[in-house]
Amino acid sequence: MSKMSKEMIHLLGNYGHIGFTFVAAIFVGMGGGIYLDRKVFDDRTTPWFTFIGLAFGIAAGFKSLFDIIIKQQDKD
Amino acid sequence: MEHPILFISIILEKLGLPIPHGPVGHTLIEQLCAPYMTYTWFTMIFLMVVGKLTLGNLEIVPGKGQNFWEIIIGGMDNFFVENMGRDLTDKLFPMIATFALYIAVANLIGLIPGFMSPTSSINTTLALTIIVWITHHIIGFRANGFAYLKHFLGPMPVLIPLMLPIEIIANVARLLSLSIRLFGNIMAKETLLGILFLLAGAYFAPLPIMILGVLVSLVQAMVFVLLTVVYFTQSNEHVH
Repeated sequence: MSKMSKEMIHLLGNYGHIGFTFVAAIFVGMGGGIYLDRKVFDDRTTPWFTFIGLAFGIAAGFKSLFDIIIKQQDKD
Repeated sequence: MEHPILFISIILEKLGLPIPHGPVGHTLIEQLCAPYMTYTWFTMIFLMVVGKLTLGNLEIVPGKGQNFWEIIIGGMDNFFVENMGRDLTDKLFPMIATFALYIAVANLIGLIPGFMSPTSSINTTLALTIIVWITHHIIGFRANGFAYLKHFLGPMPVLIPLMLPIEIIANVARLLSLSIRLFGNIMAKETLLGILFLLAGAYFAPLPIMILGVLVSLVQAMVFVLLTVVYFTQSNEHVH
């Protein structure tokens, strides 16, 4: 394999998963919030835990993005 | 969408075994005969038979087959040592290398007409991901004891209420992103190939997608293994 395509595959491996990781964190956060609202508190708190979960999910998404960047900076 | 022709399913049907019509069957035998199960077994048998045929008797001066495997295993070993160190590699090499070979073969097998990728079913990828996810926690607890939980508490005590939910969400998201990435990429490849075969198979329309499919298959197998290695390294790190 040539040098160019090897580097390309390394870049794809290191950065190709950023989008999925970000979205998955938001989905997990919001899903947890919805679960708390619907199942644990029986719709008594309805919009609140969903929004709190969404906020934490977005924060977790940015945190995992941040981790990827920090890890790459350490390596270089 | 129904996959065009799957030859193992046809053989099993001729043998009188029930083939599920949906993605998953109802009875146990139907579930065992679901295409992604039969093709998983096919991949396993393929890897074992090829390994046995090419590595039947090891020699000091390697022949063709042994050379091939030495390059692949040696390359993977170098890659793991670079990323997670000698100790962890020696402990975990069999598991991660098996995952790498299995996923790569399972992805590529779907490019041959009459076969499907077992990894285009969420059940397969989720099973692989759950094994990795549980293993990385076990590694963390074995390396650090209960101090491993400090990984989830953030840099300073004041921030614990803020950082704990964020870290837990980010950790559970690994389960989701790792499984859905592999499943989504391979399922998209399979579906696209199926549709192009139906629409214009006689004019070689699926050919460009097949070329891209080879790239996607290898890259996705590599991404899965790379992330597995990264997670293992992170949980093995000392907590400060």
